[in-house]
Amino acid sequence: MKNKTKEFKNLEKWQGTLANCIRCGYCFEHCPMFHHTGWESDAPRAKIITAFGLLSGEIEPSESAANKMFSCFYCKRCEAACSSGVPLTEIFTDAKKDLLEMGLEGPGTTSITQLSCARCLICLSACPHEARSYVEGKGITTDPAKCQACGICLEVCPAGAAKIENDFGTNKEVLIEKANDFLDTHESSKAIVFACNWSYYPELQASVLPDSETKDNDYEILVNMCGGRLEPHLLMAPFLHNAWGVLVACCPDDECQHNGNLRAKKIVENLHNTFKQIDVDPERIQLVQIPAGDKTLFQAEIDTFVDKLNSMGPIR
Amino acid sequence: MKTIDEAKLIDIVGEKNIKTDPSDLYIYGSDSSVHHAMPWAIVKPETTEQVQGIMKYANKNKIPVIARGGGSGMCGQTVPVKGGIMLDMKGMNKILEINLEDVYCRVESGVVDDDLNLALKQYGVFYPPTPASSRIATIGGEIANNASGVRSVKYGATRDAVLGMKVVLPNGDLVSLGAHTRVEASGYQLHKLMIGSEGTLGIVVEATLSFVPIPEFRCMGVANFDTLKDAGEAIGSIMASGANPSMLELVDDVAIKAVNKTMDLGLKEVAAALIFEADGMVKEAVDYEIDKMTKVCEKHNGNDIYSSYDPKERAKIFLGRKKLFPALSKYDENLASTALADDMAVPYSKMAEMAGKIHEIADKNNIVMTAYGHCGSGCMHTKILMDTKRKDQWASAKKAITQVYEYVRSVNGTTSAEHGIGLSKAESFKIEKSDSLNLLATIKKAIDPNNILNPGKLAQAPEDWVTATNLRYSVNN
Repeated sequence: MKNKTKEFKNLEKWQGTLANCIRCGYCFEHCPMFHHTGWESDAPRAKIITAFGLLSGEIEPSESAANKMFSCFYCKRCEAACSSGVPLTEIFTDAKKDLLEMGLEGPGTTSITQLSCARCLICLSACPHEARSYVEGKGITTDPAKCQACGICLEVCPAGAAKIENDFGTNKEVLIEKANDFLDTHESSKAIVFACNWSYYPELQASVLPDSETKDNDYEILVNMCGGRLEPHLLMAPFLHNAWGVLVACCPDDECQHNGNLRAKKIVENLHNTFKQIDVDPERIQLVQIPAGDKTLFQAEIDTFVDKLNSMGPIR
Repeated sequence: MKTIDEAKLIDIVGEKNIKTDPSDLYIYGSDSSVHHAMPWAIVKPETTEQVQGIMKYANKNKIPVIARGGGSGMCGQTVPVKGGIMLDMKGMNKILEINLEDVYCRVESGVVDDDLNLALKQYGVFYPPTPASSRIATIGGEIANNASGVRSVKYGATRDAVLGMKVVLPNGDLVSLGAHTRVEASGYQLHKLMIGSEGTLGIVVEATLSFVPIPEFRCMGVANFDTLKDAGEAIGSIMASGANPSMLELVDDVAIKAVNKTMDLGLKEVAAALIFEADGMVKEAVDYEIDKMTKVCEKHNGNDIYSSYDPKERAKIFLGRKKLFPALSKYDENLASTALADDMAVPYSKMAEMAGKIHEIADKNNIVMTAYGHCGSGCMHTKILMDTKRKDQWASAKKAITQVYEYVRSVNGTTSAEHGIGLSKAESFKIEKSDSLNLLATIKKAIDPNNILNPGKLAQAPEDWVTATNLRYSVNN
């Protein structure tokens, strides 16, 4: 199992950094993937350990090891939290490049294109990371080393052909199901808050409160990764389950890594027009922009929104 | 490697709660220590009945079982030296009850410390043991290691806050130990025996914990010292003065430099600093304590002493202290911070000498060591900063650790204050506890006759920690 090192040309330069990571694990709490699965092997520390294992030859480059390295939303919270100064996502990207050379590519969280693709090429210009390209004879392909799984291609694809197979709970169907479940099981429920992964910082890391603590909750926060992934269908779905309102949280102007906030703003503006046409107060759907990690502002915006809904009452 | 009946495990916990792929096993073979070893399967139980089912299966087939919380242990407690099934207890993560009337809460053992405190905060109370790793450390892991933290000087360690627990024994039986009351005088205090047993006696599935009110006032002070000796002597004098600090931390020059590099806290780069805090419900009482500690620091040549009630200022320093361990890797990019000789406790009067001894031993062995810790409770931490690629540095580290613990024992100190023994501190532990090792073995055998619970740890760990497992670093020959 030894002597694989020379095959990891890109990863090799991180050998010292991988030793400097003290494996404290303080990056767990920040990872949306760990939040979703609860498995340590999906957390950032796990990827660092995997990178070390690949580089040292202690583990074989395998499909499952590659799948771990190719699964990352690049939110970079782990990096911001790392007091050892480990540039985690740069290491992941270099590992991905080496694994690609060996014919291993995940899929991880890389967006793929299904057969229903109409080759309109909208996703090529929409991709903020220049990860998508059109290859004659192959159709649209994604460079797994460049894709950061923001999901904007999913939102813009008119044929619904773009897909992230390992979505870690961020796909539209799962979010709608979670929203419906909350609205159907909480008598006090009023609002669904769709937050991008940057604007919302989960409070409870990995524990569950007793029912007595949550039964009177009037809103539920659901993380949809980038604001650019919000679709009208997703935002409207809670109203079919008697939500009083929907709040959208995304990054401030010029702070979104994917320009997804601009898309979210446009979608909410369009929905305002729709609401007006059907004689529903457009204020029932609102968008707020929250700087990364500003928990206080986020909570204040939610409280204001819920107060407003209380003054409006239910839709019917 | 012994064969695991995967189908049997799936029967017990379901397919979604088991992993056996080598890439997953490799990840779970590490914690925050220098050690690495491969488990045979990772199982994430969600109920007590599932834990019982696994234990019955493992006991019948004599398969080792290692319970794991956040994997933040520094001495290799959860590194599976004999292989076996690793129980990822993070699947049992429910806060079951917050009982304000009777002043206790009940939690499953996979609940994370900070999560519990977040849930308690809205009621104006907190669970105090809280180690630096509280963002990922689980209550079960803290019980296994009798964890404590910066506020243990006033509020005590895990052992002081656990009223009772439910434990699955190696044969699968479930027992309730301790009580739901503040006092209990009947029979052996078996729940206390479980605390600090590092998963070698039973699997804790539920704990009943006490909590205390969050104080209205907290004031934090910093005192700078030109010599480590002065700072160390000030600690002893503060504690002997009858002062009641809620935090009394020492940081030496290495630690200050590392934290400043990482967080830009603007701490003065002096030989040593003391961070002290007092808390209470009455401001005058807090002022009194801060004044008392300030005067003692002045007497021991402390300078630029300041204190603040400002929550932002306090939070900044507190976070700096909490992140010190990872920050030490920034001290010098050619040196990695290793969790070796990481904690110990010595009498207050020896604190200054201990801090000096750490630096003396480091110099003698051509490595860098740092001295810091919750000195108000007698706890001293150190880390060894070294070039982990060099084999000779490991030999030097081994020598230094032996010398550090020889000193600790010579002044009636103890091998571990709060990080536990695991693998890397077994050498000193066995010497220190030499006259009770037979007793420990008798207890272990009575509860776990097949030796399936975390075998090869504590008294069973090999003396030579360097060869106890693979090191998790690449070391050149």
